[in-house]
Amino acid sequence: MLSRVMTTKSRPTTPLNGSSRPPPYASRQSVYASRNRNLLMYSSAVIVFAVGVTYAAVPLYRMFCAATGFAGTPNVGTGRFEPTRLVPVEGARRIKVHFNADRAEALPWTFTPQQKFVTVLPGETSLAFYKAKNESPRDIIGIATYNVTPDRIAPYFSKVECFCFEEQKLLAGEEVDMPLLFFIDKDILDDPACRGIDDVVLSYTFFRARRNAQGHLEPDASDKDVQKSLGFGDYEMAPRAEIRNAQPGKSP
Amino acid sequence: MSFGRPPSINVGFKTSPPDRGSFPLDHDGECKDQMMQYMDCLRKNSSTSTPCRVMSKQYLDCRMTKGLMERDEWKNLGLANLEGDSASVLAQQS
Repeated sequence: MLSRVMTTKSRPTTPLNGSSRPPPYASRQSVYASRNRNLLMYSSAVIVFAVGVTYAAVPLYRMFCAATGFAGTPNVGTGRFEPTRLVPVEGARRIKVHFNADRAEALPWTFTPQQKFVTVLPGETSLAFYKAKNESPRDIIGIATYNVTPDRIAPYFSKVECFCFEEQKLLAGEEVDMPLLFFIDKDILDDPACRGIDDVVLSYTFFRARRNAQGHLEPDASDKDVQKSLGFGDYEMAPRAEIRNAQPGKSP
Repeated sequence: MSFGRPPSINVGFKTSPPDRGSFPLDHDGECKDQMMQYMDCLRKNSSTSTPCRVMSKQYLDCRMTKGLMERDEWKNLGLANLEGDSASVLAQQS
């Protein structure tokens, strides 16, 4: 469209006085041509800018949330385990952490906590032990899940190192002590919802391990039992994608 | 699920893995003495953790020495500047 405008020649003659001013009656086409060019430039600029903003919006939003903590963005990653957070708050109230141990029936192990409870200060890293014994005549790989009650303390309960979520192989008849290093974040003192919490129950459940379709180890139990051990027993869970897709028309 | 998405109800429900992963199993019971000392200390102090932190430091030190745990600075584990902590106590027990 522009090229058509450019090729028509109906410009007036140049003025005799040699000035470089444009002639007073520039042709309509050239005026339209320059306006069209302007419009095209502006539109392209706006489109490019809008596309750029949509690409930049996701990282910008993340940065904004991480900086301001908007919408409850949690402080995850090494920020949670920085040395300054691992200092006990002297004089704060003590929280009693009770220990509970469960195992799946299919797992022939005895799994017990070695201490019934520990009273800790917020911010204080504490050690706790569980004992597991493989009663069967075969080597068994187990995998443990854990959960903490009451639910409101879950964001503050952090484990530095434990024995959960990874395979633990016990040889036949072997008994082993499993340590756990944890702490309760000191921000719990600022949370009004957690004001009345004096007792916390930390519960571990050991399952037999099996390999799933991707080759990863997972608990060899029904999804319902695993979710119950993670503390979601009271929540209705949708069936997992693998189960849904494997059995069309059937509900697990 | 996309990584880094804004928090929603599902993000809040995820259990988070431990920072350093899993302790390797102490199959040979190499650090059992330190563990028993820690348990005795807990029993004597009615399961209060603060008086027994030196023992837990000794236990973790034993684990690090025997290769059952990655060696790391104490301040990263929250066990720096403990009362009653002295090099002689550590050397004596491990």
